[in-house]
Amino acid sequence: MVIFSLGIIRGIVGQIVGTAVGLILVTLIRLLMGLPAWKAEPAMIIGALIGAVGFMIGVGALSDWFKWMGGKETPMHHGPPTDKPAWTRYFSVDYNHKVIGVQYAVTGILLVLVAGSLALIFRTELAQTGLQYIEAATFNTLFGMHGIVMIAGILLGVGGMINYLVPLMIGASDMAFPRLNAFGFWINVPGAILVISALFMGGWDTGWTGYPPLSVLAPMGVQAFMLGVYLVGISSIVGSANTLVTVAKMRAPGMSWFRMPIFVWAAVATSIIQLTATQLIGLSFLMVTVERVLGMGFFNPVLTAHAIEVGSPPGNVVLFQHLFWFYSHPAVYVFILPGLGIISELLPVFARKPLFGYKWIALSSLAIALVGFLVWAHHMFTAGMEPFLRIPFQFATMLVAVPTGVKFFSWVGTIWRGKLEFPTPMLFVLGAISVFLIGGLTGPPNGTVTTDLYLHDTYWIVGHFHATMFGGFIFPFFAALYYWFPKATGRMYNERLGKLHFWLILPGFWVQSLGQIAVGLLGMRRRIADYDPALGIQNGHVWITVAGYVIGLSVLVMIYNLAWSARKGPVAAANPWRSRSPEFQIPSPIPEHSYAEAFVITGEPYDYGLPGATYVAMNPSAAPAAAD
Amino acid sequence: MSASAISQAEYEQQESANRLGLWLFFASEAFMFAGLLVARFYLWGDTRPHLDQAVALIITAVLLLSSYSMNRAEVMIAHDDRKGFLNSLLITAALGVVFLIGVIGFEWQGHIRPTDGAFGAVLYGMTGMHALHVVSGIVFIFIVWNNGRKGHYSADRHWGVHACAVWWHYIDLVWVFFYPALYLIGTAQ
Amino acid sequence: MEKKKSSALRQSFNVFLGLAVLTAVEYGVSFIEFPTVALFIIGLFKAGLILNYFMHVGLLWSDGGKHK
Repeated sequence: MVIFSLGIIRGIVGQIVGTAVGLILVTLIRLLMGLPAWKAEPAMIIGALIGAVGFMIGVGALSDWFKWMGGKETPMHHGPPTDKPAWTRYFSVDYNHKVIGVQYAVTGILLVLVAGSLALIFRTELAQTGLQYIEAATFNTLFGMHGIVMIAGILLGVGGMINYLVPLMIGASDMAFPRLNAFGFWINVPGAILVISALFMGGWDTGWTGYPPLSVLAPMGVQAFMLGVYLVGISSIVGSANTLVTVAKMRAPGMSWFRMPIFVWAAVATSIIQLTATQLIGLSFLMVTVERVLGMGFFNPVLTAHAIEVGSPPGNVVLFQHLFWFYSHPAVYVFILPGLGIISELLPVFARKPLFGYKWIALSSLAIALVGFLVWAHHMFTAGMEPFLRIPFQFATMLVAVPTGVKFFSWVGTIWRGKLEFPTPMLFVLGAISVFLIGGLTGPPNGTVTTDLYLHDTYWIVGHFHATMFGGFIFPFFAALYYWFPKATGRMYNERLGKLHFWLILPGFWVQSLGQIAVGLLGMRRRIADYDPALGIQNGHVWITVAGYVIGLSVLVMIYNLAWSARKGPVAAANPWRSRSPEFQIPSPIPEHSYAEAFVITGEPYDYGLPGATYVAMNPSAAPAAAD
Repeated sequence: MSASAISQAEYEQQESANRLGLWLFFASEAFMFAGLLVARFYLWGDTRPHLDQAVALIITAVLLLSSYSMNRAEVMIAHDDRKGFLNSLLITAALGVVFLIGVIGFEWQGHIRPTDGAFGAVLYGMTGMHALHVVSGIVFIFIVWNNGRKGHYSADRHWGVHACAVWWHYIDLVWVFFYPALYLIGTAQ
Repeated sequence: MEKKKSSALRQSFNVFLGLAVLTAVEYGVSFIEFPTVALFIIGLFKAGLILNYFMHVGLLWSDGGKHK
């Protein structure tokens, strides 16, 4: 069977078989213990976990490790498969970081599309007061699903950029642990399948935050969602460890820490957060799981008679929020730091000027990551948290504005008196700065206790958050897609369609974000299916919904553009942007092993426009002239 | 694991990358275990349940002994003493099993049940998560023991043994903090 | 070779002995009135012993060095 030569098909079969095995196993154990044979939730949990293992076995991500356990060696195979078409490598386990990067990015775009479509459904519902198309319970599931699928999609997009770019930028032949890299990508697939399957298990009504006690009482969908997030979290942890080791151990000769491309700094900062904080969302979801299934009352304020007898204190729901936000606040920096790195990476190329304040930019990424660990409780000002924590967390939150301000200052300084060019990637970079400014300026009022007491859980927060995500991830991600598209495919995208994409999404997003902020101030609560017509915000909602459709349309334009150009576009030059970065000094598309010979770093990375400045000293045999 | 096709310099370069990766994973896990400790202090404060002190002290001693024998195993293979290495590994695994029996067979049979409010949740959560890691360590030991039996490690090349040993010590390290947090700190109710 | 091995084994035993004594001290300290800080400090000492002698954390910095 040809179709079974695709790893992903074998993986899905493995997941189905594994899930069935888990269901049967739990039922058998319950029978042996003399309990009623069928109980849905434990069976589903064990089924989901064994199913995930089944997927990883089926897809082949564990094969080499199983052989190692038996003491066999497995030499690394690089290059497209020899016995089947080359495109199949994208649907199977492949150890080349460029293939894995594309796998991450494409899967990320797919998930973003799914999550965006869900948003369009409930945005349509919100365009009018009253309930027209969906019920309140469906609405709840949809916005929760929108949130978490978007987060998974963004994490995959971040993984795509880091996996594709970091080894190229530091001159490494691959990531430090290629097998772990493949594992880290593929574990996302059963994770995403689990999260989406929550739709068919009754959905859930807590939103993506999964706060107890509601998440303890919610339908089983919440369990599928939490297990899916757990798997995606594993990907974050192994992927970030891989990135950190790669950067620490595999830089090209001469590339000191302060000669690394700025995006690599962003990748390091992001990885530090992902590596450590992810454990805490995993732990908090695990605690909810054992509370649901085994009745372990971490978050249950009600004590049983026996618990009172042994003198136990009650559980506490606020503990969940502490653990949860310890990850989930830094997580937004995971989303935006690579994007801000892309902005700093691309601006000097298109301004033809040195990056203003390289060291400050590099360290500001690190500073955002580290300060980000100390701000989580600003999500909990209204949650009944210990009052003495409010002021310290308010000030820590304000501190984040300092390194972020450094970045803005540097961007303005780089643009200042530059010779600006405006191809599509540059437009998206400038658009990202404008959008991120909206997100940045609406942030401090949420971090200030006095104003947050009023703004908390309003649509203002929705507007703020979407502006940071679009400015910090979506726009820079699109910029990166257009910018490295010729390197990845060897063909040029269509510039007119690229510009059309930009001129649809930018005004579309401004209207959406400012609209959300406005209706929030006028009294719209977040996460509700309906609102009072007397608030007078229905027109605002119509604008937001229409803008949402415009954004969706613009993304379809981009997908058409990239899909068409990848096959039919004009052949791209090796260095269409006159970049100084090493990956642009080799042919397009980038060869299987990237660099034929190791290069040496001889200067500063962003000395654009300075006569005689060099960054990369390539071996003559790998010079771009040989490529055209 | 033991790739004979590569030179010693390449092996050591790979080993240094592996080591950094493993320690980064330790750092990651440390946050999870710290999260459990946070839960313990947040929910229990300066109280703790009445638990069997003798059982706790015995399993702590057993785990410490196992760490010692694991260190012996690594010293032995580093000096090409294959027989002593394999025996020490088996002793370590056996002590690990004794530890598990102590946790599941004695500790978990006490008067505190998992459903007993914060006492039950934290006690079973912390010991359960730690026991899960002990199980993973025992599995790891048997994989290494099996490969060692086939003659896969040498004094110069035994990253697999080193990784297994460091992982086992890490599990002991976690217990160094869990033991006082569960059994010694606070007033027993 | 044999001499180095026996000295390594002796160090291993000494570390074990240190850890055992510290654990006994921990248990004893828990009977006095304000043990939390003391227990925490002893815990850090034990962790330091394990990290340094059993887990060879120093190898992270002395790059490429072999563990002996």
